[in-house]
Amino acid sequence: MTWRTWAIALACAPVVALAADDHSEAKIIEIANDYGLDPAPLLMTGDVEYGAYLSGECTTCHQTSGSYDGIPAIIQWDEVYFKVAMHEYKQKTRENPVMQLIAGRLGDEEIASLAAYFAQIEN
Amino acid sequence: MTLDRRTFLGTAAAASAALSAPMVRAQGTPRVVVVGGGAGGATAARYIAKDSKGAIDVTLIEPTRTYYTCFFSNLYLGGFKEMNQLGHSYGALAAGGVNVVHDWAVGVDRDAKTVALAGGGSVPYDKLILSPGIDFVDGAVAGWDMSAQNKMPHAYKAGSQTELLKAQLQAMPEGGTFALVAPPNPYRCPPGPYERVSMVAHFLKQNNPTAKILVADPKPKFSKMALFQEGWGTHYDGMIDWVGEDFGGGNVEVDPNAMTVSIDGEVTKVDVCNVIPAMKAGRIAELAGVTDGNWAPVNAADMSSKADGDIHVLGDASQQGDMPKSGFSANSQAKVCANAVRGALTGSKVFPAKFSNTCWSLISTNDGVKVGATYEATPEKIAKVDGFISATGETAEVREATYIESEGWYSGITADMLG
Repeated sequence: MTWRTWAIALACAPVVALAADDHSEAKIIEIANDYGLDPAPLLMTGDVEYGAYLSGECTTCHQTSGSYDGIPAIIQWDEVYFKVAMHEYKQKTRENPVMQLIAGRLGDEEIASLAAYFAQIEN
Repeated sequence: MTLDRRTFLGTAAAASAALSAPMVRAQGTPRVVVVGGGAGGATAARYIAKDSKGAIDVTLIEPTRTYYTCFFSNLYLGGFKEMNQLGHSYGALAAGGVNVVHDWAVGVDRDAKTVALAGGGSVPYDKLILSPGIDFVDGAVAGWDMSAQNKMPHAYKAGSQTELLKAQLQAMPEGGTFALVAPPNPYRCPPGPYERVSMVAHFLKQNNPTAKILVADPKPKFSKMALFQEGWGTHYDGMIDWVGEDFGGGNVEVDPNAMTVSIDGEVTKVDVCNVIPAMKAGRIAELAGVTDGNWAPVNAADMSSKADGDIHVLGDASQQGDMPKSGFSANSQAKVCANAVRGALTGSKVFPAKFSNTCWSLISTNDGVKVGATYEATPEKIAKVDGFISATGETAEVREATYIESEGWYSGITADMLG
């Protein structure tokens, strides 16, 4: 892997390192404020089974094994930051035309369900 | 109209359970047969086996033991990939519960609901999924038929044909001419012929820089045209002569013995001639009686054939509406189909269909471009919702990121198809 692919991987990756176990309402509202997002969709709880179905649209590119070959792994993310990333794509404040397109037609409940599903995948 | 998801799910699940329950009781474990182990068929087989957890018997009929991806095979021509990097086995699919039968499906008895095999015998099904890819239309290019494919390869089904074309490219005399006859719409992988021109140009620039490329095209325009033409000017200036419909690019005749190409009456002696003829659904779709013209019309909601509700047709062979014929599209359609087939056979939840596609193409080293869209099922067809395309004049960093992304997608889709 070249320095450039690493740089891209890092740029695409969420701030997983910052993910804390603290998922209190106050903490999530603070995160929403940090990213300039509406807190309501971040507070929503997703449905794992629905997320499993919806995930088919993701797994053409993102490997469920968690492998990185040029497209970031999205399993086992903190759910709140998964939702943050998807809402940023949806609002086009995060770059990548493919992701902006995919996130653009996902509803809040669908994003929450994907977050819940991918968070619990074991590799 | 907007549907509340829970209401929709409840209704759909109840309806499919009511319909499928008697069949399940009457026949024991329901059987799904999939014909064709490419991006559509392998994905459908894997998802049905994985998600039904043994409640459905899944058989995949695929003649080849090693699957060579058509996507990225142009990169082999350009020298960016080795052939063995494009080959994949069906071992993981078999380990995942799919009964993989290496044989040709040679007939479908829709009344008896059986698929006949070339090796003898037949396989019964409750639901049949056909994903046979493409075959070529007889007489599509004057002077060319399948018996000419060694002298003038199509290389549009990956494997030995791709290796043959590469060998011919490598053997070209200095300053020679490589001709490509492009197909009319619709065909597999819309940017494919033009990515191929780019990869051939890349190879020649490195190895035979005075060689020329002549493209005869029956179309007035093509996928990612502005992006390819910009790239050809930047990387391969003066090497590529594209003759479109306006200049007689559709009036083509080839002579495989004399190695000549005639475009609108002007005859050119060439050294390599890559003929990509007009396409149609793979033969088994026609044998099953589900084609209308060259393709198999399907219902967008579940990819079921308009001729037979127990047969589904995926990928290139299907006539579904707005999606391009691509591996990505076939993979996307397969998941919608798998969900619907499971619902019909076991009463599992059936979710609304959603489709998406992205096609990446490589123009030169680290110069990747992409086009993509999302789609939905309407009563008439799969309809485009929204899309994007790379812009001309993008920075080298963006183009390199796009190429790296395409490599990630390659790993992703092959894992998603084959496990």
